[in-house]
Amino acid sequence: MAESVGRSAGIFAVACVCGVASGMFGIGGGVLLVPLLGLLFAYSQHRAQGTSLVALIPPTGLLALISYAKADYVSWKTGFLLIPGIFAGGILGAALAKKIQPRRMRQIFAGVMFALGAWQALSAWGR
Amino acid sequence: MIFVILFLGLAVGALVGLLGIGGGVVLVPAMVYLLRMDQHLAQGTSLFILLPPVGLGALREYWKQRQVDLRAGILCALGMMLGAYLGSQIAIPMASRNLKGLFGCFLMLAAVLLWRKAQKERQAVSVAGEERAGG
Repeated sequence: MAESVGRSAGIFAVACVCGVASGMFGIGGGVLLVPLLGLLFAYSQHRAQGTSLVALIPPTGLLALISYAKADYVSWKTGFLLIPGIFAGGILGAALAKKIQPRRMRQIFAGVMFALGAWQALSAWGR
Repeated sequence: MIFVILFLGLAVGALVGLLGIGGGVVLVPAMVYLLRMDQHLAQGTSLFILLPPVGLGALREYWKQRQVDLRAGILCALGMMLGAYLGSQIAIPMASRNLKGLFGCFLMLAAVLLWRKAQKERQAVSVAGEERAGG
């Protein structure tokens, strides 16, 4: 029992850290949450992904969004155009995740993300 | 342009379902580079997009297969809400340029984590892959 309380506290603390990244970088936080649930709490990949999706259902970014909106940092029109596609794509992707071998795909995604990150850092601070 | 945006949404959504992530990590750089948005604007817009439960359809698929830890998910939601507010207070006063660079560093970190997770899953670890992820 005590162990399960400690585990819950640990998960909560990890989620707080993911939240800071979420507000700082305008992302959902799942990209951190999924690997951390797996690495620190021994979740299987599919279970980590399903659990992360639960965490992303309530408007976790609401308070952060209000801060950005106050600073006039939100493009509402683009947002509205993107939402339906993401929703439909999400169903598609989840159905696909059952069928394909996810490890390979995750590695490719990690590689692309790393390159993208390096590019962003360079274009911001290079020269 | 509208067509590009709609298609971008679909592509990002597929990743949401495949990887169980919110999609912001792909959306932000896509908006910066494809739509030529400023870093702050892209991040704020991404937060707006993630407000409605875009992953709900994907979640249903995972739920059907009993791959969801509801209790942990709710805990994570609470923690992230709190953290996200803190994070926004840090980011907004920052120069766009520094924020963009930091975002890049964050992407690399997330990539390494994701890669390590993929490695760990297959216990017959290939050391070469680990090195590639680090370098």
